[in-house]
Formats: sequence, structure tokens, C-alpha cells
Amino acid sequence: MLSVISYPLFAISVILALVLSISLFPVGWFEFRPEWLGLVVFYWTLRAPAQFGVVLAWCLGLLLDVLEATTLGVNAVSMAVIAFLVLAMHQRLRMYPVAQQCLVVFLVLGINQMLVHFLKQFLGADSPGFAYLWPALTSAIAWPFVAAAFDNLNRKLG
Amino acid sequence: MIPWEGLTIKTIFVQGPVPGFRLILVMLVSAALIAADARFEQLASVRSTLATGLAPVHWLGNAPYRFSDWVADLFVSRGDLEEQNEELKTRLLILERRALKYAALAAENNELRRLLNSSESVDDRVIIAEVVGVSPDPFSHEVIINKGANDNLRPGQAVLDSQGLMGQVINTSQFTSRVLLISDSSHAVPVEVVRNGLRYILLGNGDREQLELIHVPDTADIREGDMLVSSGLGGRFPRGYPVAEVSNIVKEPGESFMSIQATPKARLNQSRLLLVVFPPQENVDPVPEESVEAESANNDGSGGAD
Repeated sequence: MLSVISYPLFAISVILALVLSISLFPVGWFEFRPEWLGLVVFYWTLRAPAQFGVVLAWCLGLLLDVLEATTLGVNAVSMAVIAFLVLAMHQRLRMYPVAQQCLVVFLVLGINQMLVHFLKQFLGADSPGFAYLWPALTSAIAWPFVAAAFDNLNRKLG
Repeated sequence: MIPWEGLTIKTIFVQGPVPGFRLILVMLVSAALIAADARFEQLASVRSTLATGLAPVHWLGNAPYRFSDWVADLFVSRGDLEEQNEELKTRLLILERRALKYAALAAENNELRRLLNSSESVDDRVIIAEVVGVSPDPFSHEVIINKGANDNLRPGQAVLDSQGLMGQVINTSQFTSRVLLISDSSHAVPVEVVRNGLRYILLGNGDREQLELIHVPDTADIREGDMLVSSGLGGRFPRGYPVAEVSNIVKEPGESFMSIQATPKARLNQSRLLLVVFPPQENVDPVPEESVEAESANNDGSGGAD
């Protein structure tokens, strides 16, 4: 619950998330990479629900679609769902201890990944199994660090 | 920021605009977008524009590798450089000798083709590109290269590395393009066996080390170790580039086809420098006087490879 937020930080975090989602991860570990953009959307809608919401999340998802060369709209709608879920429960979410927040991050990003996966399967991809849920788990592990870092920067820059 | 903003009393339960309505709106737009993108071609330009805007992201994503290359270059000793130079000179000499032989062979080949009244084979024009990213989706085999529409790349062009066929360009933005690798499960290459010219289709199956040769009858003359080269049928890939080597053949009694695995020649997940092949210029003045239709590939038929 920050009284001030820094827009430049928002821009930087988005660019960083986009860069991280195409690069800087050891090749064999690709399927464990956290869903960085999902985390960024989660963070900003939680911290500033009045400014960031469903439509902005959708636009960011569209950029991810272009980067990943998925069908336009797949990641977009999934990011919008993240923003919606966070908006629906942000007041409770802020009261949660960190561990419980991580659990919620896992669930929300899991829903996001599931939606992406289902849409891709529907459009003809073929990847059986539950490996697509790994990013949700690694994102949940990364959440406390990401949140703490952004909170710090927000206080300094905002 | 107003300095006393933090001091004003805020109601705890601020509720912004109802997000549910926006979500439904966004879902409808997405559904339309997905349908349009999956079934029609109109959105290719939108994607291309957005991708051009995102070129800095690719550039940034590649920056650490550039930086480490640069640092590595910075700390090379003179001795190492001299050694490398010597090695490269030796290699150049060997390759030049081969090229000499090749020139003679190519001339002879063209002479024979002329005698057969078919069109001369010209050396393909290529451009060198560097891999600047790989697809973030672990289930699709794509790489991003640093040449785009500005360098006259078009979807459908073949991409090679120094060892063999890598894949094909599937879409381009101003400065980058995406290359679908031959190991992607949606990719197929028409190939022929070098030893006896049998023609088959080589499918990718999502495994970078193994490709699959399909519809090979039980009685076909094919052995482990056979080299498969692109056959040029379908008009997408140029003829004669090595694609894969047959590694494993399983004959199942009762099945009408053998199951055959092949190892790709190109180093699909290692090569950083690639060659993009330009299709030969449309021959405006075709050679054949009386049209003897040798299957000279390159300008017959279309599609087939995707």
C-alpha cells in the first residue's frame, strides 16, 4: 500500500520484464523461467489498483505475444485475467503475510499459464503434461524479492 | 507529487471502476484477435510493426552476450592471436584448394547440364545473419536473427549454418526475423537420399537431435548412415544442401512403413552465425530452346514445406 508510485520505474520494470522473458536464462532451464511480465502486472495492480488495471495488462500481454510469436491475443487475455483477479482481491491480499502472498501468486500465475496453455492447445499446439506450470512456481518463489526490490525503489524514486 | 498527499485521510475501501466489465470487453477483443490471427493474414502487418518497435528489447536481450564476446576479445593475448591467425591461414589454404577443385567440377557440371539442355545451376546468393534470440516458448523451435525486411528478407527463405539446413524464415520485421527450425513439430523438408536419389519427407518432431523420415516402405533401399539432402521439390528449399543423416531404422513386422530417425547435420542449438539463402532471380531469358523438362526445381510448384 504505497502512497506514491513512480511511473519511470513502471516503464523500466516493463522493459526489464520483456527483456528477461526472451533472454538471460540458461538454455536447459527454459521451462523453469519465471513469468516476469506476469509478476510485473501482479505487482503494479496490487500496489496501484487505481492506475493499473485490466486494459494496461492486456496491452503488455500483447507485446509478449509479439515477442513469443504466439497467436495475437493469447498472452494478452491471460495477463488481463491476472490483473482482474488481483483487482478483485487486492484489499485482502495486502493484509496477507509474505508466504500467503506467494501462494496467491502461484495460484494466479498458474491460472494465467493454464489459460495460455489451453488456448495454445486449442489452436493446435501439442505439448502434453503439466510442465507448463513450472513458471508459476518459480514466479511464486521470486515474488518476495521482486516485491521488496520494487517497494524499495518506489519509496526512493516516487 | 504534493508533499502533504500522504497525510490526507484516505478511505480504506477505495474501489476503482468495476473491473469485471473491462475484463469481458477485453476478452471479446481478444477472442476476435485470436480468431483473426489464427485464420487470416491481415494481422501480419500489425505484428510486424509491433515487432519493429520491440527491436530494442531483442537488442538488449542480446547485449550480455555481445558484452562477454567483447570482453573476451579484449583479453586475448598476442600469442593466441598469432596462433589463431596461423590456424585460419592453414584452413583457408585447404578450403581454397577445395574451392579450386570445386570450380572445375562446377564448370564440368554446367557443361553436362548444357549438353542435357537443362538450365545452368547458379551459385546461390546468401547473406550472413546472427542469432539474437531464441523463442521463449520451450515447445516451439524458433530463433530470431538480426536481419529483417530492411535486408530484403522474405518469409519462406531457407536458412543454413555451416553444416547444413537449419530452417526457414517465417516472419520478418524491419530489423529482425523469426526462423522456424527443421526440428519444430510443425516443420517438414522434402529430402532425397544422396546414394540413390529416393525422395521422402523429413519431419521435425520437437526434438533437436532427431528428425523423422516418414512414409518409407518396408522394402526401400535405405541404410543407417545415409546422407539426406534437400531435394528442392516444393520450390522452397534450394536443392542439394545436407539436411540430416539416417541414424536409426526400425522395421516393424506388420507395419507398412519403416520408422526411421535421422540426426540433423546443422547444429540447431549451437550455431550463432547463419546464412540466409536468396531464391535465384526469376530467369527472364530461360535457356531451354526446346523445353526438355528436367526437374531443375526452383521454379516449379509451390508450398509444401510448411
